[in-house]
Order: sequence, then structure tokens, then C-alpha cells
Amino acid sequence: MSSQNMLLEHCERAMAAALAAGADEAEVIADAGRSVEVAIQKNDLEQVRSADEVTFGVRVRVGDRLGFATGNQASGLRALGEEAVLIAKSSPPEPGLRLPTLSGDLFAPDAVDPELLRLLEPEGRAELCALATRTLRRALAADRRMTIDTGELSVSELRRVLVSSTGGRRAWRGAEASGGLFGMALDGAEVGSFAYDGDRRRQWAELEPALERATDRFVRKCVGALGGLPGESFRGTILVPADCVSELLLDSLTELLGADAVRQGRSPLGDRLGQAIAASGFSLTEAGAGLPGFGLAPFDREGVERRALPLIDNGVLRAILFDGAEACRSSAPGQQSTGHAQGGAASPPMVGPAALSVAAGQTPWDELCAVERAVVVTRFSGTVEPSSGDLSGVVKGGFLVRDGVARPVAETTISGNLYEALRNISGISAEREALGGTSLLPGLRIEDISITAAG
Amino acid sequence: MTHASPPLLALQQLRALFKDALQHAGSDELVELRYHKKTLRSVSAREGRVERSLSRGREGVGVRVLAAGTWGFASTSEASPAALRRAIEAARANAVASAPYRKELALRPPPIALAVGDYAEADVDEEHELDERVALVLGLEAAARRHSGRVRTASSVYNELRSDKVIVTSDGADCSVRLWRPELKVSAVAEHEGQRVSQAESIGATGGWATLFRERAEVLAERAAATAVDQLEAAVPEGGRATVILSPALVGLLVHEAVGHTVEADFVQSGSVAAGKLGQRVADDRVTLRDVGHSPHVAGAGGAEPVDDEGVVTQPATVIENGILVGYLHNRESAARFGVAPAGNARAWEYADPPIIRMRNTMIEPGDSDLNEMIASTADGYLLEGARNGQADATGEFMFGAARARRIQGGKLGPLLRGTTVTGLAFDVLQTVDAISREFAWDLGSGHCGKGQPAKVDAGGPWLRCTLTIAGEQR
Repeated sequence: MSSQNMLLEHCERAMAAALAAGADEAEVIADAGRSVEVAIQKNDLEQVRSADEVTFGVRVRVGDRLGFATGNQASGLRALGEEAVLIAKSSPPEPGLRLPTLSGDLFAPDAVDPELLRLLEPEGRAELCALATRTLRRALAADRRMTIDTGELSVSELRRVLVSSTGGRRAWRGAEASGGLFGMALDGAEVGSFAYDGDRRRQWAELEPALERATDRFVRKCVGALGGLPGESFRGTILVPADCVSELLLDSLTELLGADAVRQGRSPLGDRLGQAIAASGFSLTEAGAGLPGFGLAPFDREGVERRALPLIDNGVLRAILFDGAEACRSSAPGQQSTGHAQGGAASPPMVGPAALSVAAGQTPWDELCAVERAVVVTRFSGTVEPSSGDLSGVVKGGFLVRDGVARPVAETTISGNLYEALRNISGISAEREALGGTSLLPGLRIEDISITAAG
Repeated sequence: MTHASPPLLALQQLRALFKDALQHAGSDELVELRYHKKTLRSVSAREGRVERSLSRGREGVGVRVLAAGTWGFASTSEASPAALRRAIEAARANAVASAPYRKELALRPPPIALAVGDYAEADVDEEHELDERVALVLGLEAAARRHSGRVRTASSVYNELRSDKVIVTSDGADCSVRLWRPELKVSAVAEHEGQRVSQAESIGATGGWATLFRERAEVLAERAAATAVDQLEAAVPEGGRATVILSPALVGLLVHEAVGHTVEADFVQSGSVAAGKLGQRVADDRVTLRDVGHSPHVAGAGGAEPVDDEGVVTQPATVIENGILVGYLHNRESAARFGVAPAGNARAWEYADPPIIRMRNTMIEPGDSDLNEMIASTADGYLLEGARNGQADATGEFMFGAARARRIQGGKLGPLLRGTTVTGLAFDVLQTVDAISREFAWDLGSGHCGKGQPAKVDAGGPWLRCTLTIAGEQR
């Protein structure tokens, strides 16, 4: 693993080359990563894989033009800086573009559990294989109908260093462990719907209990999907468990809350600041430097400080997300980056959230489900067209709830509109689930969705 | 330039270096060395200016070792003799450490004739200067905006991906493989009275610009803009089971998502819906479905590969022959288990990814019908065009998004409807096929497949009439 000082030296060399080639400003980021992954396939351990790589990204401003180049060869840093300048010089100008001004150095404390570093060494392989095997066996033993298509258990370490000619250097190091299973249940000739579950932790000691809980959820989803029959066609209620909220709503919503989507006309939300866009109990916050137990680097992809930002407060739109480039492009006087540039060294910064939290409601999930008729959307496989909000897709591993009794359904589709769905949230669960370290979400009940059953 | 393609001579020197490194491989183990340099150049335009221009290069060596009855994989971004030795040792240690935990030992694939020599797809040395690429995206973005005053914004992005590989294995592969894949996407957002609709059109190819621009590039921009504008006032289709005529792009999604994934041998061994169905009827007898590493019928399919990442020279893999399931997609290990010859379906995205079973170009063979006659003979149904995203389930249940829908009543096309999602069970839907056109196209555009790692794939076919479920409105 490259040391912080070595990476700083590489980055400063690339920055100097870019400035010497004609850049007015230059920013260089280095991501040094190493990882070990145990892969599971076909109900067996498949292979162990290790990797170690440093990736560099160079972004430059030449006049009113930006250029970006990335590579993974330390011996090619001078050429990388020159190439970024060449790209900038060949691009038409965009008046007002500047790289974010960084003041001073920020070398953040490591977020590294020493146990994870030990597991990255060759002598840790057997311990990782043993946990992967225990996780696999737990799923297979829980129900004889379970089959695991793929799965993984991995440990990784990332050291990130960023230097900018605008006046600052940044450094951070983190490590994490994660795992998950993907598969289905088979019952005779019947093949059940796919399911996935897993978790991600900063502390090794927390991973196995978290994976046990994830594996138990995974088995329930797989087995619960067996015996699905076409349900009923109607216009009405859907129930969205916490782990489906992102794929049905939040992934599209947070894309629409980016200043790039607003500027590009893909999102109508830029004109709605201060207005109600969701049901009154719905509050969404970007969690800045991470959720409790899973801290992130205290600075974003451009080196700007991360901070929590309420996006929707009791249904009212309060903010949209900016990175440095979008702040420059904004027509709002004095607009600054909100610290929401995402990505790594292999790509230029993109606007987006790093971690999200939706406020809990007051009704227990079981009470939300006590309705006359609804479909539980366990997994959504479909499309949300961001501009119109048109939403349609297939319910996977879902259930039809009739007077409190749930039965699995197959070949059931839903159709509606994202913006209307946000306004039609009729219930938010009191329970929330932490998902993948970067989301803390409740379950939702949503009204007036078209549900179509095959047949 | 940092990201210039390595000259062929350099690739040949790497082959010699790899052969030298393999002299230390044990006789009881299989070692694969794969150098891969991948270069992406991308430029995008919006609002009459360049939105983003970048260059990305990533190179290194992936090492896979079969030892002690299991696989180990390691990668290094250096291609020096010392780095190769370390990576081989790390891969070997990864295999040995995991062997005690593996229930069923991996079989050493039987010897076959692997690729030897220098392989390249067409136009691999074609170059276009940045000025030319910038002019292309600016011109298309402007063409989309010019189409109508209702086009609020437009964008275009041009990517070109250059791939240079050297594959040397301890059992005989010794080759270099060079590819060049350009792709283009144009998007438009239309707005009227507070309603907004966005649409995108894309094309992709393996080969040069002459292959990529099978039709004028401006047609792409005009189609994206026209569809977005027309859909502003379009109604949502009614949900339910319907007769549909699928465009080649949607046939491509159907065969890729609904059939292709279920016949990947790793998934078959996990219990996919295609397991145990060899020799059974799974489609109407008009249907013959293949996955190919080349580009039959029309040149330039985006997933073309002359050699796969295990060093196997690619061959067509026939999956369904006249409605009967006749084969799966294999890597060397699964082919040996099933007792068939591998056809070159083991692919890795970049050097740090191990090869896994993937599709390449997946298609239904053309039939003998005419599209106009197919429409005229449809009493009540929909014509669906334009591929959005797609996914398939273990059950064979698929979903994919159609960008445009038109009602057919009494053999006549009705007005445009909003795009929608369609679904069905793959083998059930293929048994409802009752007409296949003579016309054929590869049409997955700039699409990539995701299976733990991305893969550039293409898919297509003729126009095809069948019955499936539309996710529409319940009034």
C-alpha cells in the first residue's frame, strides 16, 4: 500500500506537470486501493481474488476550459497532466468555470480497524474463507430449497489523497468489510424469484452478526417468493419495505435533486424550492460525512468539506445538491458547492449524495400493512423516466395483501408517476433499516398506483 | 500521449515476457496471464458547449491459477518480470488458501487448440482527432435542439473504447487481441405546459465510423427529439396481456435478458429455469437463437470478440434450434463438465477482473415475413420500439422498457403512446411467436450488460410478433 507521503509526492508531481503544460489551475487525486474477495458460486466457494492498484485523476482549468485525464501508471504522471491540458485546450470555453478553492491542508484521521488490515495480508485468507463458508452454510441450512447463485465476502482499504493548486491538500484512509448473497429458492420444478441481501461494516467484529441477519432476511425473501401466482389488477395501494425504497423512489429522486439534472432540464425540481413536493411526513437528509457507524471521508471528491444537508423537510423541498462546477454554472449569485461531488480518481466529479437518511414515521410497519388490499413491492425491476416521472416495472418476489393476509404473486406489474407517488405517501414506518452503511430508511405505503396482473 | 495504444511490437514483446514467466508454472497447475490495456476517450455536449471531455487509461495483468483443485486470481498494474512473479505467487496462494473450503474441486479443462497469433477486429487503427469528436457531439446536440421549439435541452456523448490484450496460458494460448469500439448517444428533453419527457437514442459498433454510422448520425438526434416531443401529449397504454410486434432492439433485449442469462452455464448449474431442459421445446419452431463472437447478417455488432479471455477462439453458440433448447453458454470449465466444446464465452471487463461466462452478440435468426404484412395481419395489439433497460429473473420472468408504443387496430397503426415496461416468462413468450421478419439489425446501441462486472454486448434480430404483458394504466 502506498504511503500518504508517497501519494502526495506523486500528486504534486502531476500537478506541477499540468501547470507547466499550461494549466491555470490543477487538481490531482490519487486512490490507492487494495482488496481481497472470496467469491461464492453455485453453492460453493469459487475463488479468492486479491488486487492492489493506485489510480490517478488529473483535472485542469485552462482559461475557461476544463480537461480531465486518468490512469493507473505512476510512471506516466507527467504525460497524464499534459494530456488533461491538451483536452482542455481542445474544448470550447465555458465562461466562469473555476476549480473549488481549498484553504489549507486537511489530513483526516484514519477510519481503519486494524483487524481489517490484518485480513488483507496473505495469512488472513483462511479466516475470510471460513466466514464466507459459514455464511453460505447458514443460508443453505435455513431451508433445503435454497440455492446460492453467487456471493462474496470482501475486505478493502482505500487511501485517498488530493492536492489542488487552489491552495489545499487532503488525505484520508478507510477500510471496510462487506458480504452478500444472491440466489433463489427451488421447489421441484418451481424456480423462485431472485433475491439479494448483504451488509457493509467498518469494524470486522460487526460483520458476522450483520451478515447473519442479512442471510436470514435473504432466505425469507427467497422462500417467500415461492408459490407466486398472478394477482389482481387494480388501482390502489403498494407497500414498499425499507430495502426497496431506494430502487423504487430514492435513486431517481436523488438524481433529480442534483444541480446538474436541474440545469440540464431533466429535473423540474429546481423551480420547486420552498414548495411541497411530497407528503407532509416525508423528510430526506443527505448525511454529509456518513451515518452513525459508517463514517465517510470528511471531504468530497473535490476536497470540499462534507456536511449534512436537509433536502426535503416534511414534504417541502429545501435544497438541491451542488459540486464546484455546478456552483460556477448556477445563475444564483454566490452559489457555492454544497460538498456533494462524488466519484473516485478514475472519473471526473459527479453531483450526488454520499449517504441518505429518511426520517422515521410513527406507525409500526405491521400496522401500515393492515389494509384491505395492497401489493408488497419486495423488489422493483423497472424504469423511472426522470423528466416525466413515468414509472413502470415488474414486482419481484411480491405479495398481494387481502384483509391482512399476504400471498406471493408473480407476473405483476406496477405503473404510476414518481412525483405523484411522493405526494401519495400515506404512511411511513416507525422502524428504519440501515442499508449498506450509507442509507437509513423506513418502509413506505403509497396510494393510487396501477397494478396489473398477467392473465 | 499517455493513452496511445501499444504498438503491435510491444504486444509481441509482452507475449515473450509472459511465456518466460510461465516457465516457472508447475506441471500440475494451469496458469493464465492476461495483459489488458483499456483506453476510453469520451466527449459530451450540452447547450451548445462541451460538457465534459476526458481520457481514461487502465492497464495491467490479471493472473489466474488453477491449483489444488480451485482457482486463485491476482492482478498487478505492472508488467515487469518481478511484478509478474509476485502476481503468479499471489494467485497461487489465493487458490491454495481456499482449497480446503471448496466442496467440489474444479476440474482442469481438457486440452484444446487455443488462440495463437495476432488477432484484431476491423478498423482497429482508425483515429479521430479531438476536434473531430467535439464537432460531432456539438453538431448532434444542436440538431436535436433544432428539431422543435419544444425541445428544452439536448445532449450528446461520444465514447470510444480501445482494447489491447495479450493472453498467454500454460496450456497453449499465445495471442494478442485488439479491438476498437465507438458509440454515440443523443438525448432530448421536451417540455410543454409543465409536462416534460426525455428520450435517448444510441448506437454502438465494433469497428470504425463507417460501421458505426450505418445511417446518418443526425437521424439519431432527430429521432430522440421527435419521440420526446411526440410523447408530450401521448397517452399511457392500457395495462394487460397483449399481442405485440417487437422491434429488433427489443428482440435483442428479449433474447439477452430473458433467455441469454438463463442459459449461462454457471447459472444453469445454480438451478436456472433452463436447467434440465436440453432437448425440450422452449419456443415456436420459427425461433433459432444464437450467441456469436462475430457479426453475421450485418457488420459491426458491438460485442464482437475474436478470442475470449481464456484464449478460446470464438465460435457461434446455438442455444435454440427451431424451437428446441440445444445448448448453454460456457467457459472452459463448464464446457468440460457438460461434455461440449467451449465457444469462447469467458470474458473479463478489465485486467483486474477474472473471466466469467458472458454473452457476446445474441440474436434470433431472421424469418420470412415482412414487417408491413405483420402489422396488416394484427387485429389488435401494439408495435413496440426502442430499447431502454432490461432485467431477467431466475424464474425466466423478464422486464424491459420500450421507449415507444403504438396501438395496432384492424391492421392499422394508431397514434404514438408513452413508452412502457413489458414482461413475461421467457420460454412461454417465445412459444407464442407467430411471425418473424426478414429484416435484421443489431440494435443494443451503447448498452452494456452487468453481472458483477460490466461487459460490452450487442443483441438484435428481426421484427417478431408474440404475446406478453404490458405494464400500463388501470383506469
